[in-house]
Amino acid sequence: MGDYRVTRRELLRQGSLLTAAGLLAPAALLEACGNTSSSPTTTGGTPRAGGSLTWALEQDPTYLAPFGPIPTSNHWGNELIYDSLLQWDKNLTIQPALAESYTTPDNLTYIFKLRQGVKFHNGNELTGDDVKYSFDLIRNPPPPGSVSSLGQVPAIASVDVVDKYTVRFTMKKPDASMLGFLAWGRYSGIAPVDMYRQINPVTQGIGTGPMKLVEYIPNDHLSFTRFADHWNKPLPYLDQILMKVLPDEQARVAALRSGAVDGATLSADSARVLGGDKSLVVLKGLTAAFREIQFTIKPGENKPWADKRVRQAISHAINRQDIIDKVYAGDGKYSGFIPPGYGKYPIADADLVSNYLKFDLNKAKQLMSDAGFSNGFPMTMLSIAAPADMTQAAEVVKQHLQQIKIDVSIQPQDIGTFAKNNGNGTFDCDLTSRGMRGDPNGFVAEFVSNARLWWPGYQVPSTIADLISRGVATPQPDQRYPIYTQLQQALMDEMLEIPLVAVYKYQVVNRRMHNMYVAFTDFNTGLKQAWVS
Amino acid sequence: MTGYVGRRLLQLGPTLFGMSVVIFLMVRLMPGDVVDVLTGGDVSITPEQRDAIKRSLGLDQPLPVQYVHWIFGMVTGDPGFSLRSHEPVYTILGRALPITVELVVMAIVISVLIGIPLGVASATRANSAGDFGARVGGLMGLSMPSFWLATLILLFTSLVFQWVPAVSYEPFLKDPLTNLSQMILPALSISVFVIAIVMRMTRATMLEVLKQDYVRTARAKGGTRRSVTYRHALRNALIPVVTVVGFQVGTLMSGAAIVEVIFGLPGVGYTLIQAIFGRDYTLVETTTMLLASIFVVLNLLVDLAYVVIDPRIKVQ
Repeated sequence: MGDYRVTRRELLRQGSLLTAAGLLAPAALLEACGNTSSSPTTTGGTPRAGGSLTWALEQDPTYLAPFGPIPTSNHWGNELIYDSLLQWDKNLTIQPALAESYTTPDNLTYIFKLRQGVKFHNGNELTGDDVKYSFDLIRNPPPPGSVSSLGQVPAIASVDVVDKYTVRFTMKKPDASMLGFLAWGRYSGIAPVDMYRQINPVTQGIGTGPMKLVEYIPNDHLSFTRFADHWNKPLPYLDQILMKVLPDEQARVAALRSGAVDGATLSADSARVLGGDKSLVVLKGLTAAFREIQFTIKPGENKPWADKRVRQAISHAINRQDIIDKVYAGDGKYSGFIPPGYGKYPIADADLVSNYLKFDLNKAKQLMSDAGFSNGFPMTMLSIAAPADMTQAAEVVKQHLQQIKIDVSIQPQDIGTFAKNNGNGTFDCDLTSRGMRGDPNGFVAEFVSNARLWWPGYQVPSTIADLISRGVATPQPDQRYPIYTQLQQALMDEMLEIPLVAVYKYQVVNRRMHNMYVAFTDFNTGLKQAWVS
Repeated sequence: MTGYVGRRLLQLGPTLFGMSVVIFLMVRLMPGDVVDVLTGGDVSITPEQRDAIKRSLGLDQPLPVQYVHWIFGMVTGDPGFSLRSHEPVYTILGRALPITVELVVMAIVISVLIGIPLGVASATRANSAGDFGARVGGLMGLSMPSFWLATLILLFTSLVFQWVPAVSYEPFLKDPLTNLSQMILPALSISVFVIAIVMRMTRATMLEVLKQDYVRTARAKGGTRRSVTYRHALRNALIPVVTVVGFQVGTLMSGAAIVEVIFGLPGVGYTLIQAIFGRDYTLVETTTMLLASIFVVLNLLVDLAYVVIDPRIKVQ
């Protein structure tokens, strides 16, 4: 499977750089999402400046505008252009970016000190006015954005420019998701004042990022050139990056083999096939997109899974290792409600395997019997048709649930139809995938916010709501860890959603490409620091 | 003749109108809408926020009003913006259409250049081993899906020659050689089906024509085999072949869609597929209407050309 190189040494080096940078925030806050796992990286060595590479995207970004809903594929297109105030490193440790430091005088105020001398791609210097302009648009996105992204934005009441290099954020309520939101960067890019009047943000962009956009031809390619005045020297190393949209996986395989592209994301099967090619290196890493089953419970419907014991039985009847083996060729991990790799928040793998998510058919049968459903029942399960693994996983789950006499009927749907049913709560149960969140609260908030939609016929225990409120209002990570552990335990008792497995993402790169890694965020952030030999 | 042309032109209006209604309704009947796609099914969006998004996209209007806006915009040259990227739809199609047109034209040229000589050779050597081979090849060409063939060609060239077409599309006028090297494989992929049809049709009509009296007369007059075949027989045999090639333009355009995706060519088909997944109503409706209009107009032109080529049609 190619060679992996875990760069713990590099992590330590980055940690010391962070200290040297003099970030003034309390050390504990730096660990807001501190992580112990590291992603395999292409070989390091002494970086070489210059050269170019071509990266194949599996989906067109559609538009590059930094404000509003930013699907993951859109962020692939604009993550090299825009920077945020903070950033995650590859282990999800929060690092300074456009803000060199911040203070929190009280739990409703964040004061960010901006790095001085940062240049935008148009030559203007970054000031507090740009930050205010950007956050005004983040909270009121102009087209092609819309208010649909506001659910991801923390409870910011106002943004005030204290002086040229100082910005104060006042929150409506204590909200610990603020730092992760900024470090995630997906919704918090900083653009220069009046950018939307100066350019067409759909196909152009002005940021402070390491690469300047040369052109974006939708459905075809994006080309970037090195931004020599980038604040984070010596990055970037590359002179040019070309991103080519190649939605067909076999086309990406062919392009990798022929050397027409230097890197691409592939399925596990294709990555394995290319593992034998000496000119290529296979990288793999977990992402936040764990798979899960989700139920609805409506008043008056009296569905069997309205009984907690039935949901628990279903969870115990599912052999997650079997899913990993059959669908993901042995590469995968058990996942709780906060996926493995997300800092210190996930529940330990051993606990999941041997306790909370244990495959125990006898216990499952006993629970079904206790609930009065020893003869089983029929159930319809929606799944997302593409990528195919979710429907394949549903097929394996169907086999498992036959053991407790539940007859599952699977309905694969395209993403638009699935999203519609998911958004309206018009389904019995579905097998779906989660995505990255800026803060652990993002993985659990829906058990309160969406309860009226998905479980109006069920009283979600108040302890869950209390823990969610406490978690988001508690800024100190050390105090947050036990809250989220307790919360996940409570959720795994209720099983309104049943977490299944966390899966690996594969990226295959040419051996001449260095410093690339599979980002947990599902972005291609490694391109910022990549270099070619 | 004038009456026939007039009648056909008069049919064009109702046909296009009917198509536009069907296309508009079918697109709007797709489950899920652009708001779901934009929000990723995020259920934390309040009904008010959903309404605000719909209002901003003009989707809060009654369907008949939206239809009139769209059709009026199509006619006046401004069908609106992509609901996802907010780029003008005609800008998007202006970028994509030349690619698909080039692909289809190349595929037709390849089909004619290969299909007709093969058909003629097969007919003049009927029941020989060469004829048998061409017929089996034709059957295979009809049976092979273009997407499968496209994938196979890509994998073959990458494995055997370590070569695939340049990944970024280069317009013909900017770099003709690169452009042709990019388009030849996709054009070949979609043309195989049409090559087979042209070959079989040419063979069948040639066999028919070769039995006619005027061909025997030409032979009796001492014409060479070559001149009888090409000057007398082929010219008459080509009439139905021309018609068939004309009708295959629609097939080629639809075949181009998936092949464009495989080869990463940002043509109309690829744009349409992306738009359908994104529930980008304006773009889907306008693109489909454009493709359907091209198909209808081409059919009309083929019909009219048929009348011009074969005077017997007028009598009938």
